[in-house]
Amino acid sequence: MRRFPASVYAIGEEPDPRFSLANERTFLAWTRTGLALIAGGVALEVLGLDLHVGFRLAASLLLIITGTAVAPLAWWEWMRAERALRQSRPLPGAFSAVVLAVVVTVVGLLVVAGVLWR
Amino acid sequence: MTGQGPSVRGPFDPGLQPERTELAWRRTALAIAIGSLVSLRIFPLMLPSAFAAWGFVPGAVGLVAACALWSAARRRQLRMTAWLHSTLPGAMPGAMLGAMPAGPTAPQDPPGGGMLLALTVLAAAFGILCIGIVVVSSLLANAG
Repeated sequence: MRRFPASVYAIGEEPDPRFSLANERTFLAWTRTGLALIAGGVALEVLGLDLHVGFRLAASLLLIITGTAVAPLAWWEWMRAERALRQSRPLPGAFSAVVLAVVVTVVGLLVVAGVLWR
Repeated sequence: MTGQGPSVRGPFDPGLQPERTELAWRRTALAIAIGSLVSLRIFPLMLPSAFAAWGFVPGAVGLVAACALWSAARRRQLRMTAWLHSTLPGAMPGAMLGAMPAGPTAPQDPPGGGMLLALTVLAAAFGILCIGIVVVSSLLANAG
């Protein structure tokens, strides 16, 4: 039985299994982060907070859309890191961390705007 | 099991990496289960009353998926441990852990990424669903 996905396992050599396991846990941590963003976005809309309706909806949708995008992003970064491990190359930078930082900042600003202009 | 042979019982790695990885899968399964339970409570209220029953579907699917993920993580960890022990110097192929899930022979390969992709698809599908539900409920709120 060939290991899936071939785009990862067809290249390089088996790395130290501890590195692969750590990469897998990183993927899971990002996935939970995505789920938390989705849950936060839904909660923002459901709780009926007394915020400006437009800003609240914008913050909510931005959270949910980002959370949804983080899931495939986590998979993509897992593949990238696993390929790098198999080829003994340096690990790629944390692209999704930048995305997360920007989005959390923007959501915070939207909530502040929602409080100020309610 | 006495003598010079490698111990095939007990943890493979003093850092308990396979065990920690299984716990990470369990945390993820628990997060999905909790999210599903919450969605059972709120999705039916967010949808138009004619479609309220459909609000229970994502939560039910999510609970089943969380259980499946939990047990799949268990099998994945056992397979990983069996494979790790089979890579130890002096390990005898075919004489592996008693806890092996699929017969007495050790797997030739460690687990791949299929389960990770399945989780990715599940999380993304749940997110898209939530976008739809939030949009529908905000349209309803503006209309009403």
